[in-house]
Amino acid sequence: MNIKISLLVFFLFSMTCIAATPQTHQVNSVTGAETWKTQSHGVHFSLTQILPEQLQAFYVNRGFSLQQIEPYISSCVYMAVVRNDKAPGTIHFISNDWQVFVDGKAHPLVSVESWMQRWKNNNIKQSAQIAFRWAQFPPEQKYDPGGDWNQGMLSIGLPTGTRFDVIARWNIGSKAYETKLQGVQCAQ
Amino acid sequence: MRNNPFSISLAVVILFASGLNIAAELPPLTHTLSAISKTIRAPELRLRNMDEEFVDIKDLKGKVVVVNFWATWCPPCRREMGSLERLHLATKDKNVVILAVNIGEDLDTVFSFLGTVEPSPSFPMLFDPDAESLGRWKVLALPTTYIIRPDGTIAFRAVGGREFDHPNIKKAITRLNH
Repeated sequence: MNIKISLLVFFLFSMTCIAATPQTHQVNSVTGAETWKTQSHGVHFSLTQILPEQLQAFYVNRGFSLQQIEPYISSCVYMAVVRNDKAPGTIHFISNDWQVFVDGKAHPLVSVESWMQRWKNNNIKQSAQIAFRWAQFPPEQKYDPGGDWNQGMLSIGLPTGTRFDVIARWNIGSKAYETKLQGVQCAQ
Repeated sequence: MRNNPFSISLAVVILFASGLNIAAELPPLTHTLSAISKTIRAPELRLRNMDEEFVDIKDLKGKVVVVNFWATWCPPCRREMGSLERLHLATKDKNVVILAVNIGEDLDTVFSFLGTVEPSPSFPMLFDPDAESLGRWKVLALPTTYIIRPDGTIAFRAVGGREFDHPNIKKAITRLNH
């Protein structure tokens, strides 16, 4: 039985295509915001720091008070972009399957659902909740090849300045793929 | 610092400026539409326009309808809006109707934004203040656009920003009339 399980684990592991493509790092000369990006298996994946002042302005303009949005602002938020340029099929992902590692230790992403529950409990007005929900990177999505893509905010849930690695995962049919960005840093 | 109105104003300015810079780093808007192979009828869509009159997609049967879900705070939605107007200008006499469904915002916000778009949109803007159409249309992120055939079935989908006046897209849309 254990041999069967081991074989199954080995089989599943061997089914995942792990990218070993290089990543690039850029710093915006105006804002200082940093971007890490990679292109793997025909899929673009990037994270750009959103600075606390930017988040504050965005959400206060949408109806949050500073006090209400502060926990989110301090949760290490990125603008994530995933785009299916030329993958061999439609990609499907669930962002809860992605993993963040700090010093090799796994750390869960903060789900959109958990933020929405917090806003509901705090009686945040509905228009602000709608803007928040749809400004986030989609928790689940499908992209056809040729250029389906999204950008959205992704809350990592780490203190400012923390360095981490992130693995993004997706499937094409039953085949699993993943890519990694290393040494990404939360805005200070 | 965080409670100072001046700081907030400054942050708004920073957001505007940095937003442009973030946008400049984004991948370009794309030129493809995904064909929907199954026969799926367009879901219900009946919303008020800027004159507070109801527009019902059912009444547009016999036309090609482009349904774009968007918001003013969504950067790719803002970037593609001018191309939707150029598509409108190029196809309004070719049995094509564009409906832009704003999610969760009010008339003043949308009106202010439209004045900044070049060329300024002249196609119908619909308002979904409760975002209730998104579930029916299986929209998982903004912007998402569907192209509906004259018989009311969905022909194409586009997830993410597009250059809607690209020749490939114009051709694919106008061909649906044949």
